[in-house]
Amino acid sequence: MVLAKPVVETADLKKTYILGKVPVNALQGVNLKVEKGDFLAILGPSGSGKSTLLNMIGALDKPTEGKVFIDGVDVSTLNDNQLADLRRNIGFVFQFFNLIPRLNARGNVELPMAIPGLGKNERRRRAEELLETVGLKERVDHKPAELSGGERQRVAIARALANNPGFLLMDEPTGNIDSKTAKEIMGLVKRLNEDEGVTIIMITHDQQLASQAKRIVKMLDGTIIKEIDQL
Amino acid sequence: MKVGDVFSYSFGAIRLRKLRAGLTTLGVVIGIAAIVALLSISQGLQVTITDQLQSGFVTDALIVSTGGGTAFGPGSNLVTETDFTLLVNHTQLINEIEGVVTSMPIIQQVGYIKSGEREVTSYVMGIDFAKYADIYSSTFVAEKGNIPLNPENDTVVVGKRVSDPWKNGTLLSDVNESVEIIWVNATVLPPTNETYVGNVVAVLEEVGGFSFVGPSDSAVYIPISQAQSFFGTDEVDSIIVKLTSDDEATIDRVSEAIEDAFSGQVSVTSSSAVLSIVSSVFSTIELFLAGIAAISLLVAGVGIMNIMIVSLMERTREIGILKALGMKSRTVLAIFLSEAVIVGLLGAIFGIGLGWVLANAAATIFTGGGFGAGGGQGAVAGEFAITPVITPTVLLGALGFGIAVSVIFALYPAWRASKLKPVDALRYE
Repeated sequence: MVLAKPVVETADLKKTYILGKVPVNALQGVNLKVEKGDFLAILGPSGSGKSTLLNMIGALDKPTEGKVFIDGVDVSTLNDNQLADLRRNIGFVFQFFNLIPRLNARGNVELPMAIPGLGKNERRRRAEELLETVGLKERVDHKPAELSGGERQRVAIARALANNPGFLLMDEPTGNIDSKTAKEIMGLVKRLNEDEGVTIIMITHDQQLASQAKRIVKMLDGTIIKEIDQL
Repeated sequence: MKVGDVFSYSFGAIRLRKLRAGLTTLGVVIGIAAIVALLSISQGLQVTITDQLQSGFVTDALIVSTGGGTAFGPGSNLVTETDFTLLVNHTQLINEIEGVVTSMPIIQQVGYIKSGEREVTSYVMGIDFAKYADIYSSTFVAEKGNIPLNPENDTVVVGKRVSDPWKNGTLLSDVNESVEIIWVNATVLPPTNETYVGNVVAVLEEVGGFSFVGPSDSAVYIPISQAQSFFGTDEVDSIIVKLTSDDEATIDRVSEAIEDAFSGQVSVTSSSAVLSIVSSVFSTIELFLAGIAAISLLVAGVGIMNIMIVSLMERTREIGILKALGMKSRTVLAIFLSEAVIVGLLGAIFGIGLGWVLANAAATIFTGGGFGAGGGQGAVAGEFAITPVITPTVLLGALGFGIAVSVIFALYPAWRASKLKPVDALRYE
């Protein structure tokens, strides 16, 4: 049996920002491995470096030291265009949804498919299918401003799934919605992981939310202080 | 991302900010409208002037002059002023040149045509009736009366505007009437008014052109011998030379031969040469006008740049999202540039429309006012109407220029947008 490559792997990952004139060591040697089908929660308080880690894993930023491998590819060797292509294989879900306000739900879900040049009919069909999966069949023509927070996050999840990404990368996905809706969203995320086999990496400061994941890594001051397997 | 998707995305962004996009486009509209209006008016003017010149021209004739007295006035001559004068009998020299059928001298002075208390300024032309009628067979034609080939001493032929200067049926002179031509003789001191009395035998058909040396609506014609004695001179303004052919080789060869015969002291003008001068003058004018109008388009370009930089700041987060979704930098660049293309294209289309409307409005004002043959003294100029002309070159040029200016000024903001780092763009509040 050949072992599949980890979806995401980091090796002694370090990141130093210069804030004003003071260097800030946001990440101080993080080693992480996420296998296919995993549901990992990265838990930590504000300032623990979890957002920096997310930027690295999401190929949005480059590390100061160490390496990030996505699907076995060393991100540091890629140029801007290759990074852009790589990001298509990552499904981002942000705390503040980050939908395009002037596009309706369908348009927002279609957008990542339009980028690689998928045909209009094909992406429309898939967008409607995905919106049905997240329970928004009736809201496809609504713009973000006409949707509730929970609905917006569902659109964001549908958008993240559009290109069949290798994994979903979620940044406080319920941080900006009420607790009842948050439960529903988490139900959806768990279902995607368990039923559809979608690999999920979720960043949160919420202990309770993290407990929904299969695995938790706790971060503090730029390092992993604890790994908990919940299986 | 497919080109169609890029444009549809950009169009959506433009539609979201209608007022702002509208005002940005307005800048382009004004610039393009100015260019189109100025160029189509000046091209219309060129067509009008060329037509009017051509209506009095014949292609198989040359005009020989000392350079001092053509219709283009002082300064238009190609030879410098000398003491040399062209005389009536110089035609003999010209007639010997191969390729010349015949030649005839013209004595031309400005005088007044008087009837009762009313006067109209007119050119008084001393000509050989038979030769003139032969050379200008299509324009030296009588509307009323007959043009005699062997005129009596008192024979006078008048142009249409001399007969009917106010265009209201009140005739200043008519066939079978006597006419008084007054000329101010400035060769004696003090200058004296001299009066020539003749008998009108014919009124010319309307020519409609400027008076060059061809038949003019504002001229009166008397036999050359009478002109010689009345004006007291053998000095002529020009000699018209009829050629055996109107091909360029003949024109060039005879022109050169005539210049040689007079040791380079005369200028020889062909109608094609005059037209090419007119055309080159207009090219310069058009370049100048287009240059002025282009400045307004550059101002519009600066406006586009300004707005796009503001828009870039507002949309930083959007750019971050697009990049997080896997959009390449060059696609971000394409989106911003295609917005500029849309603004430029719309601006150019509406600008061409507005320019056309302005040109026509201006042409109507021109035609209705200023020029026309106003009555009284000084009614020398003929009828003058401009029809704006828009050529495919102007059309495509305006379209291309509008888009080019928008895109060029959008390059910098678009480039900046494309260079945004996704992590910074997403963090941007």
